[in-house]
Amino acid sequence: MSGWLLKLKQAPVLRVDMRGITPAALAELRAEQVERLPLTYGNSIVPLAEFFSVEAGSQEGLMFEGDLSRFDRIGWQMSGGRLRVEGSAGDCAGGCMTGGELHINGHAGLLAACEMAGGLLRINGDVGDFAASTLPGSMDGMRGGRLIVDGNAGHRLADRMRRGTVLVSGDAGDFVASRMVAGTVALGGRAGEHLGYAMRRGSVVLAAGGGVNSGAAEISSTFMPAGADAVVFWQLLARDLAQHGGPFEALPRRRIERHLGDRGVGGKGELIFVD
Amino acid sequence: MTGEWIRNGVAIDDGFAEAFPMKATRVIVTAHNAEWARHAAMAATGFATSVIACGCEAGIERDLAPHETPDGRPGQSLLFFAMSGKELTKQLERRIGQCVLTCPTTAAFAGIAEGEPVALGKNLRFFGDGWQISKVINGIRYWRIPVMDGEFVVQETTAVVKAVGGGNLLLLARDTDAALAVAEAAVLAMRKLPNVIMPFPGGVVRSGSKVGSKYAALSASTNDAFCPSLQGLVQRSELTPETRCVLEIVIDGLTEADVGEAMRVGMEAGIAFGSSGGLLRIAAGNYGGKLGPYHFHLRKLLGGGVQ
Repeated sequence: MSGWLLKLKQAPVLRVDMRGITPAALAELRAEQVERLPLTYGNSIVPLAEFFSVEAGSQEGLMFEGDLSRFDRIGWQMSGGRLRVEGSAGDCAGGCMTGGELHINGHAGLLAACEMAGGLLRINGDVGDFAASTLPGSMDGMRGGRLIVDGNAGHRLADRMRRGTVLVSGDAGDFVASRMVAGTVALGGRAGEHLGYAMRRGSVVLAAGGGVNSGAAEISSTFMPAGADAVVFWQLLARDLAQHGGPFEALPRRRIERHLGDRGVGGKGELIFVD
Repeated sequence: MTGEWIRNGVAIDDGFAEAFPMKATRVIVTAHNAEWARHAAMAATGFATSVIACGCEAGIERDLAPHETPDGRPGQSLLFFAMSGKELTKQLERRIGQCVLTCPTTAAFAGIAEGEPVALGKNLRFFGDGWQISKVINGIRYWRIPVMDGEFVVQETTAVVKAVGGGNLLLLARDTDAALAVAEAAVLAMRKLPNVIMPFPGGVVRSGSKVGSKYAALSASTNDAFCPSLQGLVQRSELTPETRCVLEIVIDGLTEADVGEAMRVGMEAGIAFGSSGGLLRIAAGNYGGKLGPYHFHLRKLLGGGVQ
């Protein structure tokens, strides 16, 4: 058995909780066992075959086909293997994942990569609010791994993020990197209001070009221009980001301006504007 | 010496160099330009000729071009060898802290990925007095320590690997000029090889030692059998009257093969000088083969069998 292909029969009326459906969990099962796996649907438990046809896949791992916008927690706590969604995903995609690769060839809902600790989550479309942030009530957001969004991100991207890397090729909403503790966020487009609100440490790279006056983001008065260059650090970071191509490809050859803060909370974070 | 083995007029001993296991690491030091990278490298590898009293043996492996370094700046590749991982860690902290952290514009990175991780910048970070910032980039943790020219970026750990120290060649020459010329040529050739350093000044040592001393407090003393000034005075001299200067090259390497190759290349450079250039004999230092597990037979290295 090389993998599974799960095709959506029809979109459900209510939301479906997909936790437990990971490549590792399905790897050793037979088709009829996969079909009987329990999914929470509204307030009842139904077998997986209610929503999906189960076929042997041509590739390693697990592949979903169809619009899974109502399916939440895809790849939840995933620790290895490959999971691919040919379509959009619901909320909490890749939440708490610690390893492996989750690829969503569509959009993702709220809280994608929340409390992610390792692995790679790639989303070809847009991602909703609170991506790479915390579960409600939790103190620490994303703490490892890599979230790559080819489209745009919603509000509160990387709220309380602690470690790891987030790359968004497009724009992001308000409060990017709010209350960020550490880690890296790179934006190819514009950021909304309150960029870096109450951030303690960490780096936010605005790769759109044009420096601080490009309009890529408003800088709060609680951030101040850095008095010194950070040539070595920038080369290390820029070379790592550049491997993802797109708006980040030329970063190692570009000059930067840094603004440090948020001084409102004694923060030592940095907003990095690429010239 | 059993049986004559002459190459270009140079007698090759039927002996071997005896080498010991050591612990080693490589550190990449970069700077704003090659000159400042070299200043830092020279200082960090200074006073590191012998573990007998320096704590470690260290040297510059080679210059690094900007495209070879993690930050795209000119750099130097340094190798550090010590008798234990603990001592190596202590020496690294001192040397990187006092010689690289202090040197304008520098940064320091691990040059070996696989091995037991030991602190490189892990403790130096406290110099930042709370202003230091950790950054994990692609799974590697760096420390950014604010200093007066900006910030000192240093990788948190470097990897320690098993290594081989104490490979050596004794170059027995007609006079000082010849001995120096041969030694310089040999060191020049050996420095082109990766994974090895010749830790003594200019790569050459004139105070070769034997184990023990008439003084109880000393563990090593002058190698009287190879001192031309003692020829005829000591009970057993290794020298003939025409040998008036002996120089030694000590080699530390990351593997047994690296040390052996360096010794071979050094010998070939000496043989190229030949007896007409003043080199009379190549020997090697050992302790009867009982102390060190690595034996580098000179003739075997040159492609011959051991007699």
